[in-house]
Amino acid sequence: MGSHMRIKYETTVTAVGPMAVEFAAEGILVFFGTNAPEELHEFAILHEHTPNDEDVVPGDRLAIGEAESVVTGVGDVANDNLRNLGHLVVKYNGLTETELPGEVSVTAGDAPTIEPGMHIRIIAGE
Amino acid sequence: MALFDRFKKNGGDAAKEVAEKANDVVESVSETVQEAVSDVAEQATEAAEEAAPAEAPEPGTYRKVHISPGARGWGNGLDVKPEAGKDLIYSVTGGGIHPVAQRIADLTGGKAFDGFKSKADFHEIAVAVIDCGGTARIGVYPMKGVPTVDIHGASPAGPLMRFINEENFVSGVGVNDITVVDE
Repeated sequence: MGSHMRIKYETTVTAVGPMAVEFAAEGILVFFGTNAPEELHEFAILHEHTPNDEDVVPGDRLAIGEAESVVTGVGDVANDNLRNLGHLVVKYNGLTETELPGEVSVTAGDAPTIEPGMHIRIIAGE
Repeated sequence: MALFDRFKKNGGDAAKEVAEKANDVVESVSETVQEAVSDVAEQATEAAEEAAPAEAPEPGTYRKVHISPGARGWGNGLDVKPEAGKDLIYSVTGGGIHPVAQRIADLTGGKAFDGFKSKADFHEIAVAVIDCGGTARIGVYPMKGVPTVDIHGASPAGPLMRFINEENFVSGVGVNDITVVDE
């Protein structure tokens, strides 16, 4: 951490769909950029996506509001999804090999409560 | 919560044990079969790439296609035929309209449509094309009654898995997995 903290990705939550809350209760956060088709809104945490240059890799830190966790695994299509669609699926299961290719796994635990206005950052690992 | 509870109670421990035993037996056979299937698929792909591109149907008319699972895909395949008012080939993919969606549109006479750029109602959609890694989109469109084609070879998974079946979902699909059905 300290003065050399490098932020790979930064965004702000604009809306949280009713089904996204149920997913979160199961330790799954499903993000989409605000331009996602309307039918995905009820399942998604919408945010103001701007495409990132740098891939997310294990060892990076995911900060959602004040809650921080460490990325343990990154699925094969997760970075494409994030870059192209602002689509990110985070599972709080601590796996190094994600269960599905679209997912990013982070430190096992409960998913934080997400609310509109929250800042999300992905910080490069040391 | 109810959605997840129903979903989770599907599998019992007994079923899991049987499945594990069966899995051991199947694994060795499966490897051989997969190699054979892969060879056939490669040959088929080569053949398809050499085939002359199919011509579009007459303007204002529609044609049926069969969309097969790719070599690593899931499902039995889907027949899709657009109709007036329900002719959108709805691409919900990164980077604009996916070539698979464009190919389906070209062969059927449907309209390729970018779900991230414009808005459509479900009743206007003939088929949705997604590039889903298995969690959300994979289940949303089947749940809404829209036949769904996944570019990635994903199997039914995720919180909405129970909505996905062989009648509404096929995966691992490439441009050479779409063939015109003569009627």
